[in-house]
Amino acid sequence: MRKLHFQPIKDKADEIVNAVIATEEVSSCKKEFFALHLVCEELIVNVASYAYDEDADGYLDVEIEKSPAEITIRFKDGGKKFNPLEREMPDTSLPLEERSIGGLGILLTIKQMDSVNYEYSGTENILTIKKTISNEK
Amino acid sequence: MENTFEVKKDGNVLEIVLGQELTTANAPALMDELNKYKNQGVEKVVFDATALKYIASSGIRTIIFAKQKLGGNPEIEFINCAKEIYSVFEMTGIQEYINFIEK
Repeated sequence: MRKLHFQPIKDKADEIVNAVIATEEVSSCKKEFFALHLVCEELIVNVASYAYDEDADGYLDVEIEKSPAEITIRFKDGGKKFNPLEREMPDTSLPLEERSIGGLGILLTIKQMDSVNYEYSGTENILTIKKTISNEK
Repeated sequence: MENTFEVKKDGNVLEIVLGQELTTANAPALMDELNKYKNQGVEKVVFDATALKYIASSGIRTIIFAKQKLGGNPEIEFINCAKEIYSVFEMTGIQEYINFIEK
């Protein structure tokens, strides 16, 4: 398993996303790369922007595990307890002019991954995503 | 990585030529730029996505913003939208409110 530790994370979302998607485990998922990139960005931006108070020196640990059939990425932060899966999902049946502007990131995360799981353990938010991978190169 | 975009107004049409990515890194700047065209009689917003390869939810928010906040409920058009980006639109249901044009 690959473990990445990021600290500080404030205003570093872009850098962190690029480091995660550049790992061999993620970049070798050719067919799933777009979805993994998108989901990593949504989750990392959320932690970097909202998990910690403005002056806190927050961290984000990312663990990546890849088997022939599946990739698992786990995001751990020590910020405020927050389960993004409890967030109200945007109503995708509403016309564009009536849409609310928030909640799209977590909606896309759930739609693109095979499983998304949240737990709070000790002092950490732990969000685990899994995606089945094809062997197409 | 090409993160630029260009915005120009021609009559009642606002045209946005997108770079390769519309992400959290550049979508807020595009949103600020669009804000300048609020209530200026924009009837159609054309996103030229010929170079666009990747969009995040922050990018989708700029499209919703264009529809809701420019005033006058403008028509939204997407030129040369890549399949993967179209499928992201489908997941959010916004593709029904966009005219897709291949050039």
